[in-house]
Amino acid sequence: MSFTIDCRDKSTREINRRMREAIAEGHQRIEVLEPDARHNLGVALLSPVHVVFSGSVGYYCGGMMDGAHLEVRGSAGWGAAESMLNGTLMIDGNAGSGAAASIRGGTVVIRGDAAARAGVSMKGGTLLIGGSCGYMAGFMMQKGRIVVCGDAGDALADSMYEGVVFVGGQIAGLGNDTVVEEPNAEDRAWLDELLATHRVQGPTSFRKVVSGRKLWNFDRKELEVWKAAF
Amino acid sequence: MCGIVGFLDKRERADFPLGRTLLDMMRPMACRGPDSAGVALFGGGGEEKLRLRLPVEIGRTALSDALHEEGLMLMQSHPGGVYDARLVAEMEATDLEERLRRRWPDGEILCLGERIDAFKQVGSPDELEAAYAIAARTGTHGIGHTRMSTESRVDLSHSQPFWAHGLPDVATVHNGHITNYHKLRRRFEQDGYRFFTDNDSEIIGVYLRDRLAAGRSLEGAMRSSLDDFDGSFCYLVATKDQLGFVKDRYGFKPLMLAETEDFVALATEEIALRRALGHDFSASEPPPGTMKLWSIHADNEENTQ
Repeated sequence: MSFTIDCRDKSTREINRRMREAIAEGHQRIEVLEPDARHNLGVALLSPVHVVFSGSVGYYCGGMMDGAHLEVRGSAGWGAAESMLNGTLMIDGNAGSGAAASIRGGTVVIRGDAAARAGVSMKGGTLLIGGSCGYMAGFMMQKGRIVVCGDAGDALADSMYEGVVFVGGQIAGLGNDTVVEEPNAEDRAWLDELLATHRVQGPTSFRKVVSGRKLWNFDRKELEVWKAAF
Repeated sequence: MCGIVGFLDKRERADFPLGRTLLDMMRPMACRGPDSAGVALFGGGGEEKLRLRLPVEIGRTALSDALHEEGLMLMQSHPGGVYDARLVAEMEATDLEERLRRRWPDGEILCLGERIDAFKQVGSPDELEAAYAIAARTGTHGIGHTRMSTESRVDLSHSQPFWAHGLPDVATVHNGHITNYHKLRRRFEQDGYRFFTDNDSEIIGVYLRDRLAAGRSLEGAMRSSLDDFDGSFCYLVATKDQLGFVKDRYGFKPLMLAETEDFVALATEEIALRRALGHDFSASEPPPGTMKLWSIHADNEENTQ
């Protein structure tokens, strides 16, 4: 049986405290009703609990969490799952800027569109976007995978160190030091499984964006590359 | 950090409870801007009226006589030296402003136009409601602001919305910093524009007025501001029949947009949309470097990215 928290007339602190109390009491599933786009819900959850938010959430939902499974039946504001270590955050609607920023592991699924700076500085994990993403997605990412089923905005994966970005639709503009490749058989199998697992309708094919590795080490002979990167 | 909200009713209903809607959107934004709150409502129409702030409270008879000499009829007094008046004869807004400046150098017109009705003061949206009973007011569209001051004084004058001095029925609200404000202000002052505050947000109205005077459309002026303003900004513009937003090219400041068959709603945070308008619509963040303008007349949508 699931534990229910009605957010009406409760402060964010009270809601998060009740969530923790319910987890301590051994509840495996928590329903959070009427979240009304409040900020900081489900931050730093460290147990494999299943939390369902019945509506939109505000900033930093699921931020810094480790191992929880969160579902949002609406949209998310800025910084969804920011710095998450592990777990999953499923967003039915759209996500604001900085979704999955700096995550180290786990999976973030956005069924709608992501705004600017999705998956910046990712250090692991997977970000799956069913729709399109705004500009500067994957900026300076260091590890992990971003999958964009729709179109990608300008400066995609600018100055990425490592990791990979798959894009199904148009790319408005590639960031500095990026290279476009064809996905290999292993990539395709992984993409098929990811889309099937999360029941996301993907495009017929993807392009793969990886680091050109020219900005890894400074070389006087490549001064022009560095100048252009600023 | 400030909170901005905007709402446009597409159904053109004369009795739409615009005041309540904007107030419900502003209340959850109060924590983003505890210093002051304000709204600009657009409704009714027919006769030019203005709201005036004077530096000192003047006796009603003396004020009535003084305003009469300037071609105005005193309609109502509010606390804090704020007065409503009606234009008796047709007059250019800039001429009127100049005449009033000569009489009361520290006074200012808070809003002027046929349809605009702006209320602002230091304090929260609840305090604004207590002073001006916003919730009972109707209209077709409007904007609201909750302010956290970072650069300039906290007083009524520095609160938002800002009327675009000289342009009847045009007002703006802004979240962010226009970092080339001083440079732009110097240039505009050399061109003869007068500034009433030290708030960088005031530059938006002056800029739009200058561009319109140069023959640009409002849409064109809003679009060129994306290049001409530096810094972080999301701002909303409302005219007698339009509502629009501009979002800086880096997306430094948040803005959520929800558009349905019935309305257009804009707010810094989604919580403002949900609290005021419920859950039967989706909301998303417009991309950085974009603008859009809607008209209350559905067949006349000016739609741009």
